[in-house]
Amino acid sequence: MSTTEDQSQSTAISAGEGPSLPKGLRSNPLRDPGDRRLPRVPEPCALVVFGVTGDLARKKLLPAIYDLANRGLLPADFVLLGFARRDWEDGDFEDLAKTAAKEHARTDWNEEVWSRLSGDIKFVPGSFDDDAAFDELARTLDELRESHGIKGNAAFYLSIPPSLFPTVLKQMERTKMADNTASGGWRRVVVEKPFGHDLASAKTLNALVDDVFTADDVFRIDHYLGKETVQNLMALRFANQLFEPVWNANYVDSVQITMAEDVGIEGRAAFYDATGAARDVLQNHLLQLLALTAMEEPVEFTADAIRTEKLKVLRAITLPKDLGAFAVRGQYDQGWLAGERVVAYRAEKGVSPDSKTESYAAVRLGIDTRRWAGVPFYMRTGKRLPRRVTEIAVIFKKAPHLPFSHTDTEELGHNQLVVRVQPDEGVTLKFGSKVPGSMMEVRDVAMDFLYGEAFTESSPEAYERLILDVLLGDATLFPRNEEVEASWRVIDPLEEFWQGQNPQLYRAGEWGSKAADEMLARDGRQWRRP
Amino acid sequence: MTTLWDTTGTAVVQALAAERRTGGAVTSGLALTLVVVLEEKDTADVEAAVATAASRHPMRVIMVMRHNIDAPVPRLDAEVSIGGRHGPGESVVLRMFGRLALHSESVTLPLLAPDAPVVAWWYSKTPEIIAQDPLGVFADRRVTNVIRDADPARSLQQRAVDYAPGDTDLTWTVITPWRAALAAAFDTASSPAKALVVYGNPVDPSAQLLAGWLSSRLGIYVPVEHAQGKYISSVSLEFQDGHSVQMTNEGYKLLMRRPGQMDTIQPFPRRTTGDMLAEELRRLDADQPYGEALGAVSGLTGLNDRVSNRTHIWHDPALASQEG
Repeated sequence: MSTTEDQSQSTAISAGEGPSLPKGLRSNPLRDPGDRRLPRVPEPCALVVFGVTGDLARKKLLPAIYDLANRGLLPADFVLLGFARRDWEDGDFEDLAKTAAKEHARTDWNEEVWSRLSGDIKFVPGSFDDDAAFDELARTLDELRESHGIKGNAAFYLSIPPSLFPTVLKQMERTKMADNTASGGWRRVVVEKPFGHDLASAKTLNALVDDVFTADDVFRIDHYLGKETVQNLMALRFANQLFEPVWNANYVDSVQITMAEDVGIEGRAAFYDATGAARDVLQNHLLQLLALTAMEEPVEFTADAIRTEKLKVLRAITLPKDLGAFAVRGQYDQGWLAGERVVAYRAEKGVSPDSKTESYAAVRLGIDTRRWAGVPFYMRTGKRLPRRVTEIAVIFKKAPHLPFSHTDTEELGHNQLVVRVQPDEGVTLKFGSKVPGSMMEVRDVAMDFLYGEAFTESSPEAYERLILDVLLGDATLFPRNEEVEASWRVIDPLEEFWQGQNPQLYRAGEWGSKAADEMLARDGRQWRRP
Repeated sequence: MTTLWDTTGTAVVQALAAERRTGGAVTSGLALTLVVVLEEKDTADVEAAVATAASRHPMRVIMVMRHNIDAPVPRLDAEVSIGGRHGPGESVVLRMFGRLALHSESVTLPLLAPDAPVVAWWYSKTPEIIAQDPLGVFADRRVTNVIRDADPARSLQQRAVDYAPGDTDLTWTVITPWRAALAAAFDTASSPAKALVVYGNPVDPSAQLLAGWLSSRLGIYVPVEHAQGKYISSVSLEFQDGHSVQMTNEGYKLLMRRPGQMDTIQPFPRRTTGDMLAEELRRLDADQPYGEALGAVSGLTGLNDRVSNRTHIWHDPALASQEG
């Protein structure tokens, strides 16, 4: 609950700084920080989506926009502008958007909401290298400024392959669409992962985007950060007195961060085969989760302060010296998963039969800070694992002395605090408890907080939250370019080491390669079964 | 579900504990206890509202119905259920007869979730003086519903007289969409407001509170002028630079008309009592803007400076009627 308040404060601050914002926002007499009922609605604006016919736009973006409209969180003056290479009229696009929104929306379907929204949906056809089409787009935006009162505010969502970024960004630069001053409002850009494929390419991409837009106007979406539980991690750590005192190397034995998927590559063969698990998941989602788990307390709950702390942690990450022993990559072989036979990675459609791409990666990282020195962070991600689960497990040291006899505590493991990111969002605390009876016997029990049980209302879809934040100009949940570059600095040596190696095979439906189990066994630990 | 006839408070506490055990997973995160005071005829409405709110806030619901105080023998009937028709949380329905009704807190106190905030909600009838209802004295937040009283405008006035920080009324909750729309209209305004008028039913508490809120925030008098409908039909805004906005409620849609610009239509969400109750339960601290708006409506000042806890005032309707 306090996040909404903090969020409104941070936007109020950024609103005050922006010279181009309407004066009214700075001193709206009806906005009282003590008034927690009023939702913060973005200023009048346009959302321009490039590649609006793509998968992501249909499954996530358009439904999220409908959900926002349905919850009354879009401004009255709002335009959704689609741009794609189709010979379409506004109406054709509207049909596509409606079908997409209806099929994937989280909230109930309300025809009235849609009919209101559909009046504000525009489409500009054209290919990305077509100067005329971009002139048309710029002209349309100018016209909308008057007719729809959007005041020159626009966010551009690049839902396109990164290879097309340069073309599109150059076009925006040429037409001055990205220019805050020329537009008389704000212009922001939303970029999806992958943010490059190594440090060099990420730097080139960042330079390009930051050159066309100003760095503050670039929003990099990592949809994991839009998840309620990830934000709850900050509440858990920094709003409570209970956990922070033990959140360090004195008490923590190790941390395990897992993101497992039961699906295969789902028709993304071309992209995935060139990318692999480490670049696809480890570089962004897992390292962001690690940063949030390990960062120091930000001085205040604002975008800048949080990003500063995250960056410090990311820069302090160290790789093990012996990569051969503590960095494992695997690839799924054929096997059985959830009662069905699934094919091997190399037999997937579009994958070369001798592909060396990993579908599983596990690595031991360290963090060179006073708080975490000596605590291993075990990260793993993979496809075709037994179940879909993402969690952060903080595993505490054993009590230094047990007054019980060894046999009494045989079943006592490490205390654990597990943040379940998905599914069954929540927190589990695992600790020892006496088994009823005349004997002193201690065994592990779990205390559970289920987000979904406690708050059964479905939490907003990550994209909903993130798009709203972009329109509000709140960058708290978006990684900064330095964070992206710091993450690549972790991944690049791994990729270099793995170059040319064959990944270890694991059977689909197993918890990853044997080598990953051996990696923990070498440290005298074992993976938690999530 | 456990049903107990002619029972005691202790038995109800035991039944709740038993339900929690047999219910499988013991409900993990109770955020609050909601005590609903209602009349038998409103059971269905309250149940629906509570089920909606309970799905957003993990809570224990205690529904209290007090019947014929003059019944010769006091009696308590109770229903205890978890995850039933009152939503996913725990619920206890208490029917109190005879003099027990004057001591209802003796049954509810042991049933409150340990160390969790208590919210009292009077659905059917708002007490004249909350301190006279022991159920309101133990509550950290008190939600009233003057619209169901015989004379809502008078009841609202009485709310101001009896106000303590932590009180709110659902006639205030109902105007949140209006307030959000107005605040958004001010976001894009480039000069201060010159004149505002709320059109609607001048004796409607919501219309009064909206005008009161605008007056308290803007420092100008905002009248409620008569228009068709029993609620708020439109609000007109005039700014010092000559801009004007007309916002009209057109059946769950908000039409915004500005000279020189295209009209815009925004959805005005269709909100049930449950949605509004859920909004009330989001925050359990005092609602200052409500206090200010209520002050502007009633002409009373310093509402938010009053102390927030009440002391029980013994009130026996039987004696009161004898004396009266």
